[in-house]
Amino acid sequence: MSSSDGHAANAHLAHHFDTIERQDYAVRLGMWLFLATEVLLFAGLFLGYTVYRHFYHEAFHEASRHLDLWAGATNTVVLITSSLSVALAYWAIKQDKQKLCAGLLVFTIACALVFLAIKAIEYHHKFEEGALPGAWYHYSEVTAPGANLYYTIYFLSTGLHAIHVIVGMSILIWVLARVLKGHFSSTYFVPVELGGLYWHLVDLVWIFLFPLLYLI
Amino acid sequence: MAEITENRGPNAVHADAHAHGPGRYFVVWILLLIFTGTTVITGRMDLGDFNIVLALVIASVKAALVVLFFMHMTEAAGTNRLIFVVSVIFTIVMMTGVFGDLLTRNPMTLPTGNPPVQIQAE
Amino acid sequence: MSQPNQLSDDNPVYPAVNYLNADRGVWSWLTTVDHKRIAIMYLVSVLIAFLLGGIFAMALRVELLTPGPTIMGANTYNRMFTLHGVVMIFLFMIPAIPGVFGNFCLPLMLGAKDVAFPKLNLLSLYLYWTGATLALAGMIMGGTDTGWTFYAPYSTTTPMTLFPVLLGVFILGFSSILTGLNFIVTIHTLRAPGLGWMRMQLFVWAIYATSIIQVLATPVIGLTVMLVGIEKVGHFGLFDPSRGGDPVLFQHMFWFYSHPAVYIMVLPAMGVISDVIAAFARKNVFGYKAVAYSSLGIAFVGFFAWGHHMFVSGQSPTDDGAFAAISMLVGVFTAIKVFNWVATLYKGSIVVGAPLVYICGFLFFTVFGGMTGIAVATVSLDVHWHDTYFVIAHFHFIMVGAVIMAFLAALHYWFPKMFGRMYHEGWAMVSAALIVLGFAATFIPQFLVGNAGMPRRYYMYPERFQSLNVASTAGASLLAFGFIIIAIYLIYALIHGRLAGDNPWDSRGIEWMTTSPPDKHNFHETPVITVDPHSYQNPGEEVEHVVI
Repeated sequence: MSSSDGHAANAHLAHHFDTIERQDYAVRLGMWLFLATEVLLFAGLFLGYTVYRHFYHEAFHEASRHLDLWAGATNTVVLITSSLSVALAYWAIKQDKQKLCAGLLVFTIACALVFLAIKAIEYHHKFEEGALPGAWYHYSEVTAPGANLYYTIYFLSTGLHAIHVIVGMSILIWVLARVLKGHFSSTYFVPVELGGLYWHLVDLVWIFLFPLLYLI
Repeated sequence: MAEITENRGPNAVHADAHAHGPGRYFVVWILLLIFTGTTVITGRMDLGDFNIVLALVIASVKAALVVLFFMHMTEAAGTNRLIFVVSVIFTIVMMTGVFGDLLTRNPMTLPTGNPPVQIQAE
Repeated sequence: MSQPNQLSDDNPVYPAVNYLNADRGVWSWLTTVDHKRIAIMYLVSVLIAFLLGGIFAMALRVELLTPGPTIMGANTYNRMFTLHGVVMIFLFMIPAIPGVFGNFCLPLMLGAKDVAFPKLNLLSLYLYWTGATLALAGMIMGGTDTGWTFYAPYSTTTPMTLFPVLLGVFILGFSSILTGLNFIVTIHTLRAPGLGWMRMQLFVWAIYATSIIQVLATPVIGLTVMLVGIEKVGHFGLFDPSRGGDPVLFQHMFWFYSHPAVYIMVLPAMGVISDVIAAFARKNVFGYKAVAYSSLGIAFVGFFAWGHHMFVSGQSPTDDGAFAAISMLVGVFTAIKVFNWVATLYKGSIVVGAPLVYICGFLFFTVFGGMTGIAVATVSLDVHWHDTYFVIAHFHFIMVGAVIMAFLAALHYWFPKMFGRMYHEGWAMVSAALIVLGFAATFIPQFLVGNAGMPRRYYMYPERFQSLNVASTAGASLLAFGFIIIAIYLIYALIHGRLAGDNPWDSRGIEWMTTSPPDKHNFHETPVITVDPHSYQNPGEEVEHVVI
C-alpha cells in the first residue's frame, strides 16, 4: 500500500510526520485551504462588481462594449492553454519525464508573460483614453452614471488578478528551477502539483472575470 | 472526517497500475476552448437578462472542468473538496446578505438615488 | 475540597534539558521551528500589546473622569480610542489564545511532535511582529483617528495618514490565516494513534472551529482594508458617494469579517474553560459532544450575523430583521456550553484555585455579556443603544469578562507546564478577586450610563453622567492593579517558583503526560490514546490515560 520507496521519499519526510503519505496529504490539505482563502479574497471584488453592476447596469453594459474583446478573449485562451500545460507538466513528472516537465513549465511561464503583456497594452490604452477609475475618469465614450466605478472595479480586479499571475509565475519559476536540478521524480512531485494548483486558481478567477468584464 | 489510518492522495492512486494518460487534459482543453468561443459569441448578442445568466452558467461549467480535471478534484480527498465548496458557499452568503440589503433599501438611500451622479466628459 | 498544592508530586522533577534550554542563544530562538518556543515568543509579544492597549484604555478612562477636557484634547482622544481598539483587537485578542496556548498545547494535546508546518508557524510569528509594528507606528506617527472600524467615508477622506496602519492590519491578517491553516492541517493529520475526533480534548475542538473562521473570514478584511488604502490614495470612489460609491458597502465587507472575528476571540476562550473546568471539578465535561459541536455551530452561525452592527447604517429593515433573528441563534449555542459547564461543576470534586476563580468569573460574565448580546441584537432596542456605552459594556463583558478571564485561567493553568514552576497561590487568589471585582466595577456602570444615553467615542459628555464615569474609572484602576500584581508574582515564579512536576493539577489532558517543561520533541515516544478525553471517571480515580 505504501508508495514511498527508499531514500528519495524519506529524504523529504519531515521529522514530525510518520509517513510520506501522511505528509503529502497534509501538504495538499494546506494548499486547498490556502486556495479557499484566495477565493474569499477575490469574493470581495466580485461582490463589488455585482453591487455596482446592479446600480449602474447601463454604464457597465456600455463600458464592457468598449473593452478590447480580442485582447480579453486571447488572454482567456492563453490562460486556459497555460492551465493545460501545467497540468501536463504534473503528468510528465509523474512519468519521470523531467525534460518534458521542464519544457511544459517554460511554456506555462511564457503564457503568463504573454498574458501580462497583453494586459499591459490594454492598460496603456485605458490611460490614453482616460478610462480610469474613480476620480480620474475622463473617458468621453461612456457617459452613463457610474462608468467611473466600472473602471474602478475593472482595474482593481484585473490588477489583483495580475498580481496573482506574477506570484503564480514566480512559484512556477521556482518549481522549474528545482525540476532542472533533478529534485523531482515519479516518487516525489508534490511541489509541482501544488504550484500547478495555484496556477489553476489564477485561471479560474479569470474564467469568471472575462465574461463579467468584457462580455455582458 | 479523515480517519487516522487514511493514507489517501493522488500519490496512492497513481502508484497503481492504471495511471491515466495525458489525453483527458487535451479533451478538457478543447472543451474549454469551445465554451470560450460560445461565450464570446453569445456575450455580445442581445439576449436581455438572459445574457448574464448564460455567461455565468458557461463560466461555471468551465470552472468546474478546470477544478475537477486540471486540479484533480475527482481524485482529491473529501476534505479538500469540502473546503473548496465551502469557500464558494460563503462567497455566495456574503453576496446574498449584501444584496438582500440593496434590493430592499429605500431607493433614495442608494447611490443611484436622487440626484444621480454626474460624470464629467471631455 | 483539595488544594492544588496537595495534588502535586512530593518530589517534582524538573528536566535538566527541556525546550527552554535545549538550544542556546537569541538566534536559536529567532530561527526556531519548535511550536513551544514560538508560543512563548507570542506570549511575550501579546502581553506587551496588552500592556499598551491597557495604557491607552486607562488614558481614556482618566480623560472621562470629568465632563470636559481632563488630560487631553479632542483629537488626541480620537487617536487614543483608535489605538486602544486596534491594539487590543488585532494585536491581542485575535492572536493571543490561539498564538500562545494553541501553539503550545495543540501538538501536545494531539500527541504530536509539532504542528503540521513548523516553518509556516515561525512565519506567522514574524508576520505578527511586522504587522504589529507597522500598525502601531502607523497610528502613533500618522495620528489615526478613525476608530478601529475605519468607516468610510471618513477613513477615505481624513487628512491623517492611514496606509501604514492598513498595511499593518493586512499583514496581521495574513499571520492569522496561516496560523488557522496550520492548526486545521495539524488536527486533521497529526493525531496520535487512537485519538479519534471524539477523543480530542475540547480545547482542540475550539481551536479547530476558530481556525476555520480565521481561514474563511480574514481574507475579506484583508481586501477591505487595502481597498480603503487604495481609495484614500487613489480616489477610486468605491465607497465615496460623491463618485457613485456606497459607504454601506464598506460596512458590509468590514463586518463580514469582523463579526466572525469576535468568535475567533471567544471560541478559544471557551475551549480553555472546557479544559480547565474539567481539571478543577475533577469530572468529565458534561455533554462532551454538545460542547464540541456547539463550537462548530457558533463558527457557522457567526458568519450569517454581521448586519447586526449596521442596524442604523441605512441597511434595509428587511435585512435588519434577518440579521437580528440569525444573531439570536448564537445565543443558543453559547447557552448550551454554559449549561454544560455548570453541569460539569455540579457534584464535582471542586479544587479551589485561581483558575477556578477565573472560571466562575467567566461563567457569570458570559451570561450577562451574552444576554445583553441578545438584547442589542433586537433591532428596536439597538436603535436606542447603538453607539452608546451600552454596546461598549456588552462587548467588554465578553472580551474582558469572558475572554481575558479565560486567558488568565489558561495562563495560570498552563504556567507550570510551560515553565515547570508554580506561582504563589495566595497572591493569585488575591489578584483574581481584584480582577473580577475590578472588571465588574468598570463595566457595570457603563451599561447604566449607556442606557441613559451617553454616546461612545465622545470626548465630552453631559454632567449628569459623571458619577457613573468616575465609578467606571475607579473600577478600571482596580483592574489595572490586579494585572500589575499578576505580572509581579508570575515573573517572580519564573525565577523562584517552586517546582511543579509533570502534572501538578492531576489533570487528564494529554499535554500533562509529558514533563514540565516539555522536552524539545514533546514526547519520547508517540503516545497511544486508549480512553476518552477529560476522563475523570470518578473524582480522584486514577485512570491509565496514555501509553508513552
